[in-house]
Amino acid sequence: MASRFRFSVEGTNHAVSVEDSPEGVSVKIDEGDYFPIDATTSGVPGLFSIIRDGVPTQAYVTRDGRALRVIVDGRVFVLAPVGAGGRGRGASGGMADPPGIITTPLAGVVVDVKVAEGDTLEPRQVVAVVEAMKMQNEVQAPMAGTVKRVAAQAGSRIEKGDLVIEYTPAEE
Amino acid sequence: MFKRVLIANRGEIALRVQRTCREMGIETVAVYSDADRNALHVRNADHAVRLGPGPSNESYLVIEKIIEAAKQTGADAIHPGYGFLSENAEFADAVANAGITFIGPPAEAMRALGGKISARKIMEEAGVPTVPGANDISLDDFETAKREADRIGFPLLVKASAGGGGRGIRLVQTAEDLEGAMRASASEAASSFKDATIFLEKYVSPARHIEVQIVADQHGNVQAFGERECSVQRRNQKLVEEAPSVAVTPEIRKRICDAAIAAAKSSGYRNAGTVEFLMDNDGNFYFLEVNARLQVEHPVSELVYGGVDLVALQLKVAAGEPVPDPDGPLNPVGWAMECRINGEDPFNNFVPSLGLVDFLQLPAGPGVRFDTMLFEGLDIPIFYDSLLGKLIVWGEDRPQAIERMKRALKDLIVSGPITNQAFHLELFDNEDFRNGDIYTSWLESKFTMPQLPEEDPRLDTALIAGGLAAGIIAGATAEGTARPIGLSRWVAASRSIARRGIRVDGGRTGWRRGSASQ
Repeated sequence: MASRFRFSVEGTNHAVSVEDSPEGVSVKIDEGDYFPIDATTSGVPGLFSIIRDGVPTQAYVTRDGRALRVIVDGRVFVLAPVGAGGRGRGASGGMADPPGIITTPLAGVVVDVKVAEGDTLEPRQVVAVVEAMKMQNEVQAPMAGTVKRVAAQAGSRIEKGDLVIEYTPAEE
Repeated sequence: MFKRVLIANRGEIALRVQRTCREMGIETVAVYSDADRNALHVRNADHAVRLGPGPSNESYLVIEKIIEAAKQTGADAIHPGYGFLSENAEFADAVANAGITFIGPPAEAMRALGGKISARKIMEEAGVPTVPGANDISLDDFETAKREADRIGFPLLVKASAGGGGRGIRLVQTAEDLEGAMRASASEAASSFKDATIFLEKYVSPARHIEVQIVADQHGNVQAFGERECSVQRRNQKLVEEAPSVAVTPEIRKRICDAAIAAAKSSGYRNAGTVEFLMDNDGNFYFLEVNARLQVEHPVSELVYGGVDLVALQLKVAAGEPVPDPDGPLNPVGWAMECRINGEDPFNNFVPSLGLVDFLQLPAGPGVRFDTMLFEGLDIPIFYDSLLGKLIVWGEDRPQAIERMKRALKDLIVSGPITNQAFHLELFDNEDFRNGDIYTSWLESKFTMPQLPEEDPRLDTALIAGGLAAGIIAGATAEGTARPIGLSRWVAASRSIARRGIRVDGGRTGWRRGSASQ
């Protein structure tokens, strides 16, 4: 009996089907054919050793919010739920915010909030500055709009993915 | 020898110093901020003293707290590591006044070398070549400054005497821009360093960053351990260091080491230090500054000079022992390279990346050394710099060291924070870099990080692993006939995932961050 999973990876949807039978495990990716694999996580949970056609590969899988973060040979893939409000870009794990909210891409201390309720936003305008690891990082608006609510407070600690501001996107 | 050494630092360098102390039978005292309560340097020490909250200016930079910690634990010496208070003359004085040995240079030498102008003057007197420049200029006498600038020639740099980290520096292409640049530099220096003194220096470009490791004892002997090249820099931060340098011949090495030794002797220097030089294409080198401390990149020198332990040497000369061989061989054996593994995203403008390290696979094998603060369960604090570890390799020659580094970079897996490993892998495949055709502005002017490939065979593996994991980890998106995959050990593994990383917390929160900084 097959299980089918859908992931959004860097903006593209993919489907993975896993068929688990007494003969072994077979996998099908997107519209391809089923192929047998030998896979195990024994030892370290999340660390998958996969042998396909005699070629071993290794992947480490962990949860990252509602997504899965997978590291394969130095590259990080974020396998996000399909249709989760557009979140799920991420060349290297970053997530794009859906229209209407701006979250911080990294944890740190908010050193400056540069907008107030009612302000007009331009694309790429800096809305806040977050300091982490002795570096000041700008949080920018992805598109034009009007600030609806400011959630971040200067001087306070902020976690990756926390809300910085809510805004009303400008009409196209 | 000392009985108990307090290490006034954190991260990989605190561990580095601890290891040598342990080998020498010396007890260690760790100090820590709240953000570092969970850190390895705290766990591994013989004694540990809390300094205060996470921010450095409430913990690692508070001189009184560190002196108090040393007194409280009976430490007879303090090793400052690098950064933080390591080059702070006030701290060195305070340590000495408390009757404790400071493992580093005397405060007077730090003061003399700390100002760039006073250091230039010392070197000029000692016959050490300095970059052609003008030390005695000011905004009040612009005519003199202009005359000096014409003598030096354009382009030139306006620099702040108290400057550091690239601040206070202005590049001037023509005489018309001189006054504005001097004003900008002085005002930046005044606000950053509370000292508006500026000077002029010829702009040596392209230039290599070549530095000489020295150790000076209390008996007037100075031993040099050859050169390191640190020309791969981004925003004045070194990213890759190597020893020796492709551009340094045995003849140049002799001259530059003699210059470094003269620099140390003329400034009354003691303990380990680094004399930094700029070197042009013709092999002319010019004194830049002295780093009055152990440096981040010291291991590459250790590896090519017979495995010498520079921290052990620091402890020995601080305890009064002489350096082992002031006339020792200058020429290195083999080639060593170091990559700074930073928590930053090379595909996203090197923005800092931190978080919980949930999986770690360390490189090993011939010629590989990894000095790191990382361990599974570490929640990387936000308050400090982004250096997570230093990957160091030794090879018989530079090509072998390069291939070995690539192998080791691929062996290292860090899950949680994004690291700059992908940058290093690109760099080590770059033709200029492989040819040693590098200079300090090379990285920023010639190197571009390629985008990730669209068609990547690694995606298949990621999807397979993701599909398998989705079956065993709740919370992932599934549709249709999703159910746990019926392999018992995976189910067991999934339960184990839920257990991993849990701090003792009454079991209420389940899978959570292993941080102690609440």
